[in-house]
Amino acid sequence: MGVHKEQLTLVIGGGAAGIEAARVLGQAGYPVVLVEKSNRLGGVLNQLASSFPRWEDPAQFVEPRVKDFEKCEKVRILLESTVSGCQKVKNGYQVKIDNKGVAEELQVGAVIIATGFELMDLSGYGEYGHGSFANVFNSLEFEAVLKQWAAGNKPEKPPVVAFFKCVGSRDRSKGYPYCSKICCMYTAKQAGLVKDLFPDGRSYVFYMDYRASGKEYEEFVRSVIEDKHVRYVRGRPAKVLPENGRLLIRCEDTLMGVPVEVRADYIVLAAAIRPSQGTAEMAQMFGLKTDAYGFIEPEPFEAVKVQERVFLAGSCGFAVETLGALQQGAAAAAQAIAVLHQAD
Amino acid sequence: MNATTSPVNQYFKALQLDETDSSLSQEILENCGVDIERCLECGKCSGGCSNTHIFDFTPRKIVQMIKIGDEKRLLHMDSLWCCVACHLCVDRCPSGIDIPRIMDYLREKAITKGIPATRPTVELFHNLMLDQVHKKGRVSELYLILNYNLKSRQYLKNAELGPQMFFKGKLNPIPARVKKMDQVRRLFRPKPGQKGEAR
Repeated sequence: MGVHKEQLTLVIGGGAAGIEAARVLGQAGYPVVLVEKSNRLGGVLNQLASSFPRWEDPAQFVEPRVKDFEKCEKVRILLESTVSGCQKVKNGYQVKIDNKGVAEELQVGAVIIATGFELMDLSGYGEYGHGSFANVFNSLEFEAVLKQWAAGNKPEKPPVVAFFKCVGSRDRSKGYPYCSKICCMYTAKQAGLVKDLFPDGRSYVFYMDYRASGKEYEEFVRSVIEDKHVRYVRGRPAKVLPENGRLLIRCEDTLMGVPVEVRADYIVLAAAIRPSQGTAEMAQMFGLKTDAYGFIEPEPFEAVKVQERVFLAGSCGFAVETLGALQQGAAAAAQAIAVLHQAD
Repeated sequence: MNATTSPVNQYFKALQLDETDSSLSQEILENCGVDIERCLECGKCSGGCSNTHIFDFTPRKIVQMIKIGDEKRLLHMDSLWCCVACHLCVDRCPSGIDIPRIMDYLREKAITKGIPATRPTVELFHNLMLDQVHKKGRVSELYLILNYNLKSRQYLKNAELGPQMFFKGKLNPIPARVKKMDQVRRLFRPKPGQKGEAR
């Protein structure tokens, strides 16, 4: 059995999962090429105002890991780069990389796909007015608003912010039948942050149920309800109407069976999570198996192995929270190491 | 008044959530020490309640109404006077929400505000029972029943149970009396800022 410690591993995507995979490989002494489409590492974490369930600062994520990269000297980071082609060869892939416009060819022994997710386009939900009313945001757009507010750029009057969960998720008519898994948690986080920033403001969360199955998740949501006094209203909003510069929400409180109206200044739509454009491209390029929605599917009884020498990490497989992305990144790295050792 | 015709049970207009506030839940937290925000909305209280068959609002809905600050309906509802404080709801509640304590508080509040009980005989029963406690420190079932039937003019109500209860020793013609009555009286002493004796 030959040990191929000099064989490269290609990590596609520089978000939480990709960074973690590259770090584990690099620290174990394996050379890595990390390809990132944008001009900085961190992926979605760069857009977030805080994290659940421990209110950690996402800005603190990337820096220590970049230090690890520098220390191990094994990780080559290619920003503003994409994988433009691939060919199966013996013991790996011959990949073409577009490195800031310069073509490069590499022979790699393993590939880790960490191309992430995107939020569903909400133009099909005319009733919520995303795109037509100024203050209706999707959840990632609202993270940017929260960052602005946290930086001191606050509205004068404490705002009323309403959060709609399951917009596009658990929706068999206009969206996806699946639960996007992380919206319950980040919505609780966002609603809690609003109350932290504006103790006199109001946060409403319209929900069908909250799914908090993770360590400290239930406690997190309960603390947002009980300690931060975010109001959870059970029901799926049916309509948003402009009213004197504000937004009138109509829904039913399904616990009481009464119609409910409430006026809000901002509405945040927890849009369904779907595979990113890059995920679709890589799946096609490497000929990976995907599910009906385009998420990359691992082999039976495999956590991250998609096919021979190809592994997935993070939300290209399915919606996953940061911790899950890290776990998958580390798992993919470990499996990549194993497969490099199996080469003959 | 029955549940279907009671005006408090009819919602025609949309509830204006922004006009409601959390002052009622705050009030209940301060006066009863019950934090209704702990409610998980599971309905175990209502499922266990011994009286839901005559309630217009089940315990879960009552907690929910406190959450939406619907004081008017709470103080006028029939459930307020049908709850027998059996404590099944609080016994089953996973969050330990003391609903009977809330009911007591709401009944007191309704009476203070002069809102009539939906079941006048229930209020009468409450008063007669407390009168007895006030006088003797204990409740004598026999005199309570006699008094109640007389005053509510249902002279023969449940009369057929009398002999049975008597022979089982449940109806003692000699009323018991607490020895240290001064301690009982202390229970009735008004709280600071309260008018009249507490009942």
